[in-house]
Amino acid sequence: MPPIRLGMLRLTDAAPVVLARESGLFAAEGLDVALSVEPSWANLADKLCYGLLDAAVMLPPLALAVALGLRAAATPLLVPMGLSLNGNAVTLAEDLAAPILADGRPEALEAGRRLGRLLAARPKARLAVVHARSTHHLLLRYWLAASGIDPDLDVVIGVIPPAEMVAALESGRIDGFCAGAPWGQMAARAGLGREVVTSAGIWRNHPEKCLAVRADWAGTEPAPLQSLLCALLRAAQRCDDPAEAKELAGLLAADRYVGVPAEAVVASLPGGGPDSSIFFAQAATWPWRSHADWFLGQMARWGDLPAGLDRQAAAREVYRPDLHAEAARALGLPVPDRDRKQEGGHDRPWQLGAAPGPIEMAPDPFCDGAHFPA
Amino acid sequence: MACGLQRGIAGQAADRYDAVKVLLVDANSERAQSVETDLAAAGATLVIRPSPGENLRDSVARVGPDLVIVDMARPDRDSLDDIRHLSRHDPRPVVMFVDRDDPAFMEAAIEAGVSSYNVVGAALPAVKPIVQAAVAMFRRYRQIEAELEKSQASLKERAIIIEAKSLVMRQRNMTEPEAYRWLRRTAMDRNRRIVDIAASVLARSREEK
Repeated sequence: MPPIRLGMLRLTDAAPVVLARESGLFAAEGLDVALSVEPSWANLADKLCYGLLDAAVMLPPLALAVALGLRAAATPLLVPMGLSLNGNAVTLAEDLAAPILADGRPEALEAGRRLGRLLAARPKARLAVVHARSTHHLLLRYWLAASGIDPDLDVVIGVIPPAEMVAALESGRIDGFCAGAPWGQMAARAGLGREVVTSAGIWRNHPEKCLAVRADWAGTEPAPLQSLLCALLRAAQRCDDPAEAKELAGLLAADRYVGVPAEAVVASLPGGGPDSSIFFAQAATWPWRSHADWFLGQMARWGDLPAGLDRQAAAREVYRPDLHAEAARALGLPVPDRDRKQEGGHDRPWQLGAAPGPIEMAPDPFCDGAHFPA
Repeated sequence: MACGLQRGIAGQAADRYDAVKVLLVDANSERAQSVETDLAAAGATLVIRPSPGENLRDSVARVGPDLVIVDMARPDRDSLDDIRHLSRHDPRPVVMFVDRDDPAFMEAAIEAGVSSYNVVGAALPAVKPIVQAAVAMFRRYRQIEAELEKSQASLKERAIIIEAKSLVMRQRNMTEPEAYRWLRRTAMDRNRRIVDIAASVLARSREEK
């Protein structure tokens, strides 16, 4: 069998695939997985489209856009697994960050309101996101709009790949960015800017990366797909253990992966802080169709979906909890009893019905208190 | 969304054929030069490259190209990925060039590391030869790079083997053919490559010093 070609970007939350590769979890499942580190999300998407990759650590909105044919040829993709919650942040250049953070980091909406006042008295701020179809773009827009800032009129939003953000901030081409770890940390270490709000502050425990696989590959290779899911479920469990964080950061920091100092990586791994990435707990790996609903709803809100698209049907087609359930059952892990849940509005910890036993869930409020019923 | 070739009526197509304006985005200036020559031969009348330091969106706005050909390794090409969405106030939709009838061609393009975008609104007759020319040149460069890398690697490997061989000759008091046979046998016994054994012999002697 040829190796499975799995794409990723230089980001801390690629942790599960890097750990599975480096610690032999793929090999233990009899898999030969070739990781391919791509310079940008568009490259990753193109290679998935044209069959140069079988699977990838993906942005959920981009996976949906590819599957729906919004950017090039429509390519059927499946999302059988979530790979992380949280992990992004909005970093602003020092001149904007300093007044916002004068008395510590405020709540997300307060930070947004302060930013709004600063924006009124200066030329339009230029903000960058990692891709037009990214969690970052949708959460940034959500936060700006909730804070009374019009994302289309009051700021200019451009696209720069995550690993290029720090250089763009340094050259003054942008005034801030929303990107995944460790790039906010790297900007702060260089004294160029500071994180004013984390993505968890905008939507606590929001879905971040997912695993996307080509539907034709999944169809012809159902057994390797199950093995892949099993290896990644085990890896996700280990990534959540703060005791593993140091070693994990060491692996990720290597030049062939993220290529930054391990200390910058460890900050957003579990145990690094309240808003750090979560890989397994709280059903992080379950591909919730209600997550797909939310992403599609936000894409529609900003005019990025064709009129008349059946969003629930699209979510059903692309997001495949049934594939996850099979792997989870094989490992004796709990399988949730539903594929949609209310997003937002859980203000305290709650239990998710699952077999054989329930899963402990944490609160998931949005910064503006909104909730999205299933 | 509009993809692929948009053929106008024959007359229009002929007019337009003389006016395919290409924005060529490639940091490798030597390759860009070659691509430019080939594009002109394939029917691109005007090939423009971004000004130094200019971002892609600004280049597109300034040049108003019909076609953008971009090195995939250039990270800011993501800003072309549906530019419409991000610039509603200067709508100039840019869509990835897709030839639905020829998926192998698209695959070859991606593998060669080149991506192209149609700037929709211009009728684009026969852009495919232009894109094909770019793909062919990118592929040729990729092959040359791979060959160069391979030959440099083998030169380096040969130097390591020669150095290890003379070390083994001194240490074990062997002739040159004996030393080489020793390296080869050790490599076979351990199921490794000769150069790996040579490198570990050299590393060990460095540690001992």
